[in-house]
Amino acid sequence: VNAEAILADTVREAGDRIRAALAIRFRDLDLAEEAFGFASLRAVETWSRDGPPRDPAAWLYAVARRRAFDLGRRAKVRRDAIHDAPQPPSNPETLLLAAFEPIPDERLRLIFICCHPALAPEARIALTLRTLCGLSVERLARAWLTTEAAMQQRLTRAKRKIRDARIRFEIPEPDAWGERLEAVLATLEIAYAQAYEDAAGASEAADLAGETLRLSRLLTELLPDEAEVLGLAALIRLAESRRPARLDAAGAMAPLSEQDVRLWDDRLIDEAIALMRRAAEIGRSGPYQLMAAIHAAHATRRETGFIAWGDIATLYDYLLTVRPSPVAQVNRAVALAEALGPDAGLAALDAIEDPGRLAGWLPYQAARAGICAKAGRAGEAAQALRAALALDPAPAERLFLARRLAELSA
Amino acid sequence: MQYLLIIYSNEAERDPATLQEITAAHMRLGAELQETGAMVGGNRLKPSDTATTIRTTGGVQSLHDGPYAETREQLAGYYLVEAADLDAAIAWGRKIPGGQNYAIEVRPIWPIG
Repeated sequence: VNAEAILADTVREAGDRIRAALAIRFRDLDLAEEAFGFASLRAVETWSRDGPPRDPAAWLYAVARRRAFDLGRRAKVRRDAIHDAPQPPSNPETLLLAAFEPIPDERLRLIFICCHPALAPEARIALTLRTLCGLSVERLARAWLTTEAAMQQRLTRAKRKIRDARIRFEIPEPDAWGERLEAVLATLEIAYAQAYEDAAGASEAADLAGETLRLSRLLTELLPDEAEVLGLAALIRLAESRRPARLDAAGAMAPLSEQDVRLWDDRLIDEAIALMRRAAEIGRSGPYQLMAAIHAAHATRRETGFIAWGDIATLYDYLLTVRPSPVAQVNRAVALAEALGPDAGLAALDAIEDPGRLAGWLPYQAARAGICAKAGRAGEAAQALRAALALDPAPAERLFLARRLAELSA
Repeated sequence: MQYLLIIYSNEAERDPATLQEITAAHMRLGAELQETGAMVGGNRLKPSDTATTIRTTGGVQSLHDGPYAETREQLAGYYLVEAADLDAAIAWGRKIPGGQNYAIEVRPIWPIG
Protein backbone atom coordinates (compact mmCIF):
# COMPACT_ATOMS: atom_id res chain seq x y z
CA VAL A 1 0.00 0.00 0.00
CA ASN A 2 1.37 3.39 -0.92
CA ALA A 3 0.04 5.42 1.99
CA GLU A 4 1.77 8.57 0.90
CA ALA A 5 0.17 8.49 -2.55
CA ILE A 6 -3.28 7.91 -1.07
CA LEU A 7 -2.69 10.76 1.37
CA ALA A 8 -1.59 13.08 -1.44
CA ASP A 9 -4.73 12.23 -3.43
CA THR A 10 -6.96 12.73 -0.39
CA VAL A 11 -5.38 16.07 0.46
CA ARG A 12 -5.73 17.25 -3.11
CA GLU A 13 -9.37 16.18 -3.21
CA ALA A 14 -10.54 17.15 0.24
CA GLY A 15 -7.72 19.02 1.96
CA ASP A 16 -9.27 22.47 1.68
CA ARG A 17 -12.58 21.18 2.99
CA ILE A 18 -10.98 19.47 5.99
CA ARG A 19 -8.77 22.46 6.83
CA ALA A 20 -11.74 24.83 6.63
CA ALA A 21 -13.96 22.58 8.75
CA LEU A 22 -11.27 22.39 11.44
CA ALA A 23 -10.55 26.13 11.41
CA ILE A 24 -14.22 27.02 11.74
CA ARG A 25 -15.07 24.39 14.35
CA PHE A 26 -12.20 25.40 16.63
CA ARG A 27 -12.11 29.05 15.65
CA ASP A 28 -8.35 28.90 15.66
CA LEU A 29 -6.34 28.83 12.43
CA ASP A 30 -3.08 27.74 14.08
CA LEU A 31 -4.73 24.92 15.96
CA ALA A 32 -6.40 23.72 12.77
CA GLU A 33 -3.12 23.78 10.89
CA GLU A 34 -1.29 21.87 13.59
CA ALA A 35 -4.04 19.27 13.93
CA PHE A 36 -4.18 18.72 10.17
CA GLY A 37 -0.41 18.29 10.06
CA PHE A 38 -0.58 15.75 12.86
CA ALA A 39 -3.36 13.78 11.16
CA SER A 40 -1.38 13.68 7.90
CA LEU A 41 1.68 12.27 9.64
CA ARG A 42 -0.40 9.74 11.54
CA ALA A 43 -2.13 8.74 8.29
CA VAL A 44 1.12 7.70 6.64
CA GLU A 45 2.13 5.60 9.68
CA THR A 46 -1.25 3.97 10.20
CA TRP A 47 -2.21 3.41 6.59
CA SER A 48 1.12 1.81 5.69
CA ARG A 49 0.69 -0.60 8.61
CA ASP A 50 -3.06 -1.36 8.55
CA GLY A 51 -4.02 -0.37 5.02
CA PRO A 52 -5.99 2.73 4.07
CA PRO A 53 -9.42 3.35 5.63
CA ARG A 54 -12.62 3.14 3.60
CA ASP A 55 -12.97 6.92 3.62
CA PRO A 56 -9.52 8.50 3.96
CA ALA A 57 -10.88 12.07 4.08
CA ALA A 58 -13.27 11.28 6.92
CA TRP A 59 -10.43 9.48 8.70
CA LEU A 60 -8.16 12.53 8.40
CA TYR A 61 -10.92 14.83 9.62
CA ALA A 62 -11.76 12.63 12.62
CA VAL A 63 -8.13 12.24 13.70
CA ALA A 64 -7.37 15.95 13.20
CA ARG A 65 -10.49 16.91 15.13
CA ARG A 66 -9.58 14.70 18.05
CA ARG A 67 -6.06 16.10 18.01
CA ALA A 68 -7.41 19.65 17.98
CA PHE A 69 -9.60 18.90 21.00
CA ASP A 70 -6.60 17.50 22.86
CA LEU A 71 -4.37 20.41 21.92
CA GLY A 72 -7.15 22.85 22.69
CA ARG A 73 -7.77 21.37 26.10
CA ARG A 74 -4.10 21.39 26.83
CA ALA A 75 -3.73 25.02 25.80
CA LYS A 76 -6.92 25.93 27.68
CA VAL A 77 -8.32 27.56 24.60
CA ARG A 78 -11.49 25.54 24.86
CA ARG A 79 -13.45 28.45 26.24
CA ASP A 80 -12.88 30.15 22.88
CA ALA A 81 -14.33 27.22 20.97
CA ILE A 82 -17.90 27.48 19.75
CA HIS A 83 -20.40 26.64 22.42
CA ASP A 84 -22.23 23.92 20.56
CA ALA A 85 -19.04 22.02 19.75
CA PRO A 86 -19.65 18.41 20.79
CA GLN A 87 -17.47 16.68 23.35
CA PRO A 88 -14.52 14.79 21.94
CA PRO A 89 -15.35 11.18 21.10
CA SER A 90 -14.15 9.16 24.04
CA ASN A 91 -14.59 5.50 23.13
CA PRO A 92 -13.90 3.46 20.00
CA GLU A 93 -17.59 3.32 19.00
CA THR A 94 -18.08 7.08 18.94
CA LEU A 95 -14.76 7.46 17.22
CA LEU A 96 -15.86 5.02 14.54
CA LEU A 97 -19.17 6.81 14.09
CA ALA A 98 -17.49 10.17 13.99
CA ALA A 99 -15.24 8.91 11.23
CA PHE A 100 -18.26 8.67 8.95
CA GLU A 101 -19.69 12.03 9.86
CA PRO A 102 -19.75 14.12 6.71
CA ILE A 103 -17.18 16.91 6.66
CA PRO A 104 -19.09 20.19 6.78
CA ASP A 105 -18.28 22.59 3.96
CA GLU A 106 -16.91 25.66 5.71
CA ARG A 107 -14.66 26.82 2.88
CA LEU A 108 -16.66 29.94 2.12
CA ARG A 109 -16.64 30.98 5.76
CA LEU A 110 -12.88 30.51 5.91
CA ILE A 111 -12.39 32.52 2.72
CA PHE A 112 -14.43 35.37 4.15
CA ILE A 113 -12.37 35.32 7.35
CA CYS A 114 -9.02 35.21 5.55
CA CYS A 115 -10.10 38.01 3.19
CA HIS A 116 -11.61 40.22 5.87
CA PRO A 117 -11.21 43.91 4.95
CA ALA A 118 -9.77 44.58 8.42
CA LEU A 119 -6.68 42.57 7.33
CA ALA A 120 -3.94 44.07 5.19
CA PRO A 121 -4.59 43.30 1.49
CA GLU A 122 -1.16 41.73 1.02
CA ALA A 123 -1.76 39.38 3.93
CA ARG A 124 -5.19 38.18 2.80
CA ILE A 125 -4.23 36.06 -0.16
CA ALA A 126 -1.23 34.55 1.59
CA LEU A 127 -3.46 33.62 4.51
CA THR A 128 -6.07 32.10 2.19
CA LEU A 129 -3.52 30.06 0.29
CA ARG A 130 -1.93 28.92 3.54
CA THR A 131 -4.97 28.04 5.65
CA LEU A 132 -7.37 26.89 2.94
CA CYS A 133 -5.13 25.50 0.22
CA GLY A 134 -2.30 24.41 2.49
CA LEU A 135 0.51 26.06 0.51
CA SER A 136 3.79 26.06 2.41
CA VAL A 137 5.27 29.27 3.77
CA GLU A 138 8.33 28.60 1.65
CA ARG A 139 6.25 28.40 -1.52
CA LEU A 140 4.33 31.56 -0.65
CA ALA A 141 7.56 33.42 0.03
CA ARG A 142 8.86 32.40 -3.39
CA ALA A 143 5.71 33.59 -5.14
CA TRP A 144 5.92 36.98 -3.43
CA LEU A 145 9.68 37.26 -3.87
CA THR A 146 10.19 37.65 -0.16
CA THR A 147 11.96 35.70 2.56
CA GLU A 148 10.35 32.86 4.46
CA ALA A 149 10.78 34.81 7.68
CA ALA A 150 9.00 37.84 6.27
CA MET A 151 6.16 35.71 4.91
CA GLN A 152 5.85 33.86 8.22
CA GLN A 153 5.64 37.17 10.02
CA ARG A 154 2.95 38.44 7.66
CA LEU A 155 0.89 35.31 8.29
CA THR A 156 1.44 35.33 12.04
CA ARG A 157 0.42 38.95 12.31
CA ALA A 158 -2.79 38.34 10.35
CA LYS A 159 -3.68 35.29 12.39
CA ARG A 160 -3.02 37.15 15.62
CA LYS A 161 -5.31 39.94 14.55
CA ILE A 162 -8.09 37.49 13.68
CA ARG A 163 -7.77 36.00 17.15
CA ASP A 164 -7.02 39.05 19.31
CA ALA A 165 -9.32 41.57 17.66
CA ARG A 166 -11.84 38.73 17.27
CA ILE A 167 -12.81 38.84 13.63
CA ARG A 168 -16.23 37.29 13.13
CA PHE A 169 -16.30 33.63 12.13
CA GLU A 170 -19.61 33.91 10.31
CA ILE A 171 -20.78 34.49 6.77
CA PRO A 172 -21.25 38.29 6.51
CA GLU A 173 -24.69 39.81 7.13
CA PRO A 174 -26.59 41.16 4.09
CA ASP A 175 -25.69 44.77 4.93
CA ALA A 176 -21.97 43.93 4.96
CA TRP A 177 -22.13 41.44 2.07
CA GLY A 178 -21.13 43.83 -0.72
CA GLU A 179 -18.02 45.14 0.98
CA ARG A 180 -16.95 41.72 2.20
CA LEU A 181 -17.40 40.06 -1.19
CA GLU A 182 -15.50 42.91 -2.82
CA ALA A 183 -12.59 42.25 -0.46
CA VAL A 184 -12.60 38.56 -1.41
CA LEU A 185 -12.63 39.35 -5.14
CA ALA A 186 -9.95 42.01 -4.79
CA THR A 187 -7.79 39.48 -2.94
CA LEU A 188 -8.04 36.98 -5.78
CA GLU A 189 -7.41 39.73 -8.30
CA ILE A 190 -4.20 40.74 -6.49
CA ALA A 191 -3.08 37.12 -6.38
CA TYR A 192 -3.61 36.69 -10.08
CA ALA A 193 -1.92 40.00 -10.91
CA GLN A 194 1.07 38.76 -8.92
CA ALA A 195 1.07 35.55 -10.94
CA TYR A 196 0.61 37.39 -14.22
CA GLU A 197 3.18 40.14 -13.79
CA ASP A 198 6.20 38.81 -15.62
CA ALA A 199 5.45 37.73 -19.18
CA ALA A 200 8.28 35.23 -18.91
CA GLY A 201 6.03 33.39 -16.44
CA ALA A 202 8.55 32.22 -13.90
CA SER A 203 7.47 28.82 -12.66
CA GLU A 204 6.58 30.10 -9.18
CA ALA A 205 4.20 32.62 -10.69
CA ALA A 206 2.63 30.08 -13.02
CA ASP A 207 2.14 27.88 -10.00
CA LEU A 208 0.36 30.69 -8.18
CA ALA A 209 -1.79 31.25 -11.25
CA GLY A 210 -2.91 27.62 -11.00
CA GLU A 211 -3.96 28.11 -7.38
CA THR A 212 -5.83 31.30 -8.26
CA LEU A 213 -7.68 29.51 -11.06
CA ARG A 214 -8.66 26.80 -8.62
CA LEU A 215 -9.76 29.26 -5.92
CA SER A 216 -11.80 31.31 -8.38
CA ARG A 217 -13.56 28.15 -9.56
CA LEU A 218 -14.26 27.11 -5.99
CA LEU A 219 -15.80 30.51 -5.38
CA THR A 220 -18.11 30.10 -8.38
CA GLU A 221 -19.25 26.81 -6.90
CA LEU A 222 -19.81 28.31 -3.46
CA LEU A 223 -21.49 31.49 -4.73
CA PRO A 224 -23.10 30.50 -8.04
CA ASP A 225 -25.50 33.45 -8.04
CA GLU A 226 -22.97 36.25 -7.69
CA ALA A 227 -22.38 37.64 -11.17
CA GLU A 228 -19.10 39.32 -10.28
CA VAL A 229 -17.70 36.07 -8.87
CA LEU A 230 -18.38 34.48 -12.25
CA GLY A 231 -16.96 37.57 -13.96
CA LEU A 232 -13.69 37.38 -12.04
CA ALA A 233 -13.34 33.65 -12.68
CA ALA A 234 -13.85 34.35 -16.41
CA LEU A 235 -11.37 37.24 -16.35
CA ILE A 236 -8.65 35.12 -14.75
CA ARG A 237 -9.25 32.32 -17.25
CA LEU A 238 -9.07 34.63 -20.25
CA ALA A 239 -5.83 36.22 -19.04
CA GLU A 240 -4.36 32.82 -18.24
CA SER A 241 -5.41 31.37 -21.60
CA ARG A 242 -2.78 33.54 -23.24
CA ARG A 243 0.16 32.50 -21.11
CA PRO A 244 1.63 30.20 -23.83
CA ALA A 245 1.49 33.08 -26.35
CA ARG A 246 2.91 35.88 -24.24
CA LEU A 247 6.51 35.40 -25.39
CA ASP A 248 7.74 35.09 -28.94
CA ALA A 249 10.50 32.74 -30.11
CA ALA A 250 13.20 35.24 -29.09
CA GLY A 251 11.78 35.53 -25.57
CA ALA A 252 10.35 39.00 -26.11
CA MET A 253 6.90 39.99 -24.87
CA ALA A 254 4.21 39.54 -27.51
CA PRO A 255 1.48 42.17 -27.09
CA LEU A 256 -2.04 40.78 -26.89
CA SER A 257 -3.10 42.11 -30.30
CA GLU A 258 -0.11 40.45 -32.00
CA GLN A 259 -0.12 37.10 -30.22
CA ASP A 260 -0.42 33.90 -32.20
CA VAL A 261 -3.99 32.85 -31.48
CA ARG A 262 -3.17 29.22 -32.12
CA LEU A 263 -1.13 29.20 -28.92
CA TRP A 264 -4.03 30.36 -26.75
CA ASP A 265 -5.58 27.79 -24.43
CA ASP A 266 -8.98 27.11 -26.03
CA ARG A 267 -10.26 25.16 -23.04
CA LEU A 268 -9.75 28.12 -20.69
CA ILE A 269 -11.34 30.54 -23.17
CA ASP A 270 -14.39 28.31 -23.59
CA GLU A 271 -14.71 27.95 -19.81
CA ALA A 272 -14.55 31.72 -19.46
CA ILE A 273 -17.21 32.31 -22.11
CA ALA A 274 -19.53 29.83 -20.37
CA LEU A 275 -18.98 31.65 -17.04
CA MET A 276 -19.73 35.00 -18.69
CA ARG A 277 -22.97 33.64 -20.15
CA ARG A 278 -24.06 32.54 -16.69
CA ALA A 279 -23.10 35.95 -15.29
CA ALA A 280 -25.07 37.74 -18.01
CA GLU A 281 -28.15 35.67 -17.16
CA ILE A 282 -27.98 36.93 -13.59
CA GLY A 283 -28.16 40.41 -15.06
CA ARG A 284 -26.05 42.41 -12.63
CA SER A 285 -23.08 43.93 -14.37
CA GLY A 286 -19.89 45.02 -12.65
CA PRO A 287 -16.23 45.80 -13.21
CA TYR A 288 -15.01 42.18 -13.33
CA GLN A 289 -17.60 41.25 -15.95
CA LEU A 290 -16.64 44.32 -17.98
CA MET A 291 -12.93 43.49 -17.80
CA ALA A 292 -13.73 39.91 -18.78
CA ALA A 293 -15.80 41.23 -21.70
CA ILE A 294 -12.82 43.28 -22.91
CA HIS A 295 -10.58 40.21 -22.79
CA ALA A 296 -13.29 38.17 -24.49
CA ALA A 297 -13.51 40.75 -27.28
CA HIS A 298 -9.80 40.21 -27.90
CA ALA A 299 -10.34 36.46 -27.75
CA THR A 300 -12.83 36.55 -30.63
CA ARG A 301 -9.85 37.19 -32.92
CA ARG A 302 -9.50 33.42 -32.67
CA GLU A 303 -12.57 33.03 -34.93
CA THR A 304 -12.89 36.34 -36.80
CA GLY A 305 -9.25 37.16 -37.44
CA PHE A 306 -9.75 40.79 -36.48
CA ILE A 307 -10.15 42.86 -33.30
CA ALA A 308 -13.33 44.89 -32.75
CA TRP A 309 -11.48 47.91 -31.35
CA GLY A 310 -14.59 50.08 -31.37
CA ASP A 311 -16.42 47.65 -29.08
CA ILE A 312 -13.37 47.48 -26.83
CA ALA A 313 -13.22 51.28 -26.53
CA THR A 314 -16.91 51.32 -25.58
CA LEU A 315 -16.36 48.63 -22.95
CA TYR A 316 -13.58 50.77 -21.46
CA ASP A 317 -16.01 53.70 -21.34
CA TYR A 318 -18.37 51.58 -19.25
CA LEU A 319 -15.52 50.31 -17.10
CA LEU A 320 -14.34 53.86 -16.40
CA THR A 321 -17.77 54.80 -15.08
CA VAL A 322 -17.84 51.95 -12.53
CA ARG A 323 -14.14 51.64 -11.76
CA PRO A 324 -11.98 54.52 -12.95
CA SER A 325 -8.25 53.78 -13.14
CA PRO A 326 -5.23 55.01 -15.11
CA VAL A 327 -4.81 51.51 -16.62
CA ALA A 328 -8.31 51.63 -18.08
CA GLN A 329 -7.77 55.18 -19.36
CA VAL A 330 -4.53 54.25 -21.11
CA ASN A 331 -6.02 51.10 -22.61
CA ARG A 332 -9.04 53.05 -23.80
CA ALA A 333 -6.72 55.47 -25.60
CA VAL A 334 -4.99 52.55 -27.31
CA ALA A 335 -8.36 51.12 -28.42
CA LEU A 336 -9.47 54.53 -29.71
CA ALA A 337 -6.21 54.93 -31.65
CA GLU A 338 -6.94 51.62 -33.39
CA ALA A 339 -10.65 52.25 -33.91
CA LEU A 340 -10.66 55.93 -34.91
CA GLY A 341 -7.04 56.69 -35.72
CA PRO A 342 -3.96 57.79 -33.79
CA ASP A 343 -5.17 61.37 -33.30
CA ALA A 344 -8.16 60.17 -31.29
CA GLY A 345 -5.81 57.98 -29.25
CA LEU A 346 -3.38 60.78 -28.53
CA ALA A 347 -6.23 63.12 -27.59
CA ALA A 348 -7.50 60.50 -25.13
CA LEU A 349 -3.99 60.03 -23.69
CA ASP A 350 -3.52 63.77 -23.30
CA ALA A 351 -6.91 64.05 -21.60
CA ILE A 352 -5.77 61.82 -18.72
CA GLU A 353 -5.20 63.90 -15.64
CA ASP A 354 -1.95 64.07 -13.73
CA PRO A 355 0.50 63.60 -16.64
CA GLY A 356 3.41 64.21 -14.25
CA ARG A 357 2.70 61.00 -12.41
CA LEU A 358 1.96 59.08 -15.61
CA ALA A 359 5.33 59.99 -17.11
CA GLY A 360 7.00 57.63 -14.65
CA TRP A 361 4.61 54.81 -15.42
CA LEU A 362 5.65 52.17 -17.90
CA PRO A 363 2.29 51.20 -19.48
CA TYR A 364 1.64 54.87 -20.24
CA GLN A 365 4.97 55.37 -22.03
CA ALA A 366 4.57 52.09 -23.92
CA ALA A 367 1.07 53.08 -25.07
CA ARG A 368 2.25 56.56 -26.03
CA ALA A 369 5.09 55.05 -28.07
CA GLY A 370 2.70 52.75 -29.92
CA ILE A 371 0.22 55.48 -30.77
CA CYS A 372 2.90 58.01 -31.81
CA ALA A 373 4.55 55.43 -34.06
CA LYS A 374 1.19 54.75 -35.68
CA ALA A 375 0.75 58.49 -36.24
CA GLY A 376 4.13 58.63 -37.95
CA ARG A 377 5.61 60.71 -35.14
CA ALA A 378 8.78 58.66 -34.90
CA GLY A 379 10.70 61.13 -32.75
CA GLU A 380 8.04 61.21 -30.02
CA ALA A 381 7.62 57.45 -30.22
CA ALA A 382 11.35 56.92 -29.70
CA GLN A 383 11.32 59.34 -26.80
CA ALA A 384 8.49 57.43 -25.12
CA LEU A 385 10.27 54.12 -25.72
CA ARG A 386 13.45 55.43 -24.13
CA ALA A 387 11.41 56.67 -21.16
CA ALA A 388 9.79 53.23 -20.87
CA LEU A 389 13.15 51.46 -21.05
CA ALA A 390 14.43 53.69 -18.26
CA LEU A 391 11.62 52.46 -16.00
CA ASP A 392 13.15 49.05 -15.38
CA PRO A 393 10.85 46.76 -17.40
CA ALA A 394 10.86 42.99 -16.87
CA PRO A 395 13.32 41.22 -19.23
CA ALA A 396 10.71 40.11 -21.79
CA GLU A 397 9.19 43.56 -22.00
CA ARG A 398 12.63 45.16 -22.23
CA LEU A 399 13.40 43.02 -25.27
CA PHE A 400 10.10 44.03 -26.87
CA LEU A 401 10.60 47.75 -26.23
CA ALA A 402 14.21 47.69 -27.40
CA ARG A 403 13.17 45.95 -30.62
CA ARG A 404 10.51 48.60 -31.28
CA LEU A 405 13.09 51.30 -30.71
CA ALA A 406 15.48 49.63 -33.18
CA GLU A 407 12.66 49.38 -35.76
CA LEU A 408 11.95 53.11 -35.39
CA SER A 409 15.58 54.04 -35.93
CA ALA A 410 15.88 51.78 -38.96
CA MET B 1 -15.47 41.63 24.55
CA GLN B 2 -14.89 45.36 24.82
CA TYR B 3 -13.62 47.67 22.11
CA LEU B 4 -12.43 51.25 22.30
CA LEU B 5 -13.67 53.35 19.40
CA ILE B 6 -11.30 56.28 19.16
CA ILE B 7 -12.40 59.37 17.26
CA TYR B 8 -9.81 61.39 15.32
CA SER B 9 -10.99 64.59 13.69
CA ASN B 10 -9.70 67.83 12.27
CA GLU B 11 -10.31 70.54 14.84
CA ALA B 12 -9.81 73.32 12.31
CA GLU B 13 -12.69 72.05 10.21
CA ARG B 14 -15.42 72.80 12.72
CA ASP B 15 -18.05 75.45 12.31
CA PRO B 16 -20.61 75.90 15.10
CA ALA B 17 -23.59 74.76 13.04
CA THR B 18 -22.10 71.39 12.04
CA LEU B 19 -20.73 70.97 15.55
CA GLN B 20 -24.24 71.27 16.93
CA GLU B 21 -25.52 68.78 14.38
CA ILE B 22 -22.73 66.33 15.21
CA THR B 23 -23.34 66.69 18.93
CA ALA B 24 -27.01 65.87 18.42
CA ALA B 25 -26.01 62.79 16.39
CA HIS B 26 -23.70 61.71 19.22
CA MET B 27 -26.60 61.98 21.66
CA ARG B 28 -28.73 59.74 19.44
CA LEU B 29 -25.91 57.20 19.08
CA GLY B 30 -25.36 57.27 22.85
CA ALA B 31 -29.04 56.52 23.42
CA GLU B 32 -28.92 53.63 20.95
CA LEU B 33 -25.80 52.20 22.62
CA GLN B 34 -27.54 52.45 26.00
CA GLU B 35 -30.72 50.78 24.78
CA THR B 36 -28.89 47.82 23.26
CA GLY B 37 -26.67 47.46 26.32
CA ALA B 38 -23.52 48.01 24.26
CA MET B 39 -22.45 51.23 25.99
CA VAL B 40 -19.68 50.85 28.53
CA GLY B 41 -18.51 54.44 28.47
CA GLY B 42 -17.50 57.36 26.32
CA ASN B 43 -16.69 61.01 26.30
CA ARG B 44 -15.67 63.88 24.14
CA LEU B 45 -12.41 65.71 24.79
CA LYS B 46 -11.68 69.42 24.91
CA PRO B 47 -9.58 70.64 21.94
CA SER B 48 -5.99 69.50 21.74
CA ASP B 49 -4.63 72.96 22.60
CA THR B 50 -5.75 72.22 26.17
CA ALA B 51 -3.60 69.07 26.25
CA THR B 52 -0.47 68.61 28.31
CA THR B 53 1.94 65.80 27.55
CA ILE B 54 4.15 64.23 30.20
CA ARG B 55 7.08 62.74 28.39
CA THR B 56 9.64 60.45 29.98
CA THR B 57 13.01 60.38 28.27
CA GLY B 58 15.78 58.28 29.70
CA GLY B 59 13.82 58.04 32.95
CA VAL B 60 13.45 61.82 33.26
CA GLN B 61 10.00 63.35 33.06
CA SER B 62 9.22 66.65 31.46
CA LEU B 63 6.02 68.50 30.59
CA HIS B 64 5.05 69.73 27.17
CA ASP B 65 2.24 71.99 26.10
CA GLY B 66 0.14 70.24 23.50
CA PRO B 67 -0.97 66.75 22.43
CA TYR B 68 1.30 63.72 22.09
CA ALA B 69 1.31 63.90 18.31
CA GLU B 70 0.96 67.08 16.29
CA THR B 71 -1.12 65.63 13.47
CA ARG B 72 -3.81 67.12 11.32
CA GLU B 73 -6.40 64.83 12.86
CA GLN B 74 -6.51 64.87 16.62
CA LEU B 75 -7.94 62.58 19.27
CA ALA B 76 -11.36 64.08 19.89
CA GLY B 77 -13.20 61.52 21.97
CA TYR B 78 -13.99 57.86 22.40
CA TYR B 79 -16.65 55.26 23.02
CA LEU B 80 -16.06 52.09 24.99
CA VAL B 81 -18.48 49.44 23.75
CA GLU B 82 -19.32 45.84 24.47
CA ALA B 83 -19.47 43.88 21.21
CA ALA B 84 -19.52 40.22 20.24
CA ASP B 85 -16.68 40.57 17.76
CA LEU B 86 -14.68 43.01 15.64
CA ASP B 87 -17.38 43.14 12.98
CA ALA B 88 -19.99 44.24 15.52
CA ALA B 89 -17.57 46.83 16.94
CA ILE B 90 -16.89 48.13 13.42
CA ALA B 91 -20.64 48.41 12.84
CA TRP B 92 -20.85 50.72 15.89
CA GLY B 93 -17.77 52.61 14.72
CA ARG B 94 -19.40 53.31 11.39
CA LYS B 95 -22.29 54.99 13.16
CA ILE B 96 -20.11 57.53 14.97
CA PRO B 97 -20.80 60.97 13.46
CA GLY B 98 -18.07 63.50 12.63
CA GLY B 99 -18.72 65.37 9.42
CA GLN B 100 -17.04 64.73 6.07
CA ASN B 101 -13.44 63.89 7.04
CA TYR B 102 -12.55 61.95 10.15
CA ALA B 103 -11.34 58.57 11.31
CA ILE B 104 -12.42 56.02 13.89
CA GLU B 105 -9.86 53.58 15.23
CA VAL B 106 -11.28 50.33 16.58
CA ARG B 107 -9.11 48.66 19.21
CA PRO B 108 -9.91 45.60 21.29
CA ILE B 109 -9.51 46.04 25.03
CA TRP B 110 -6.84 43.80 26.54
CA PRO B 111 -8.16 42.97 29.99
CA ILE B 112 -5.65 42.87 32.83
CA GLY B 113 -5.56 39.75 34.95
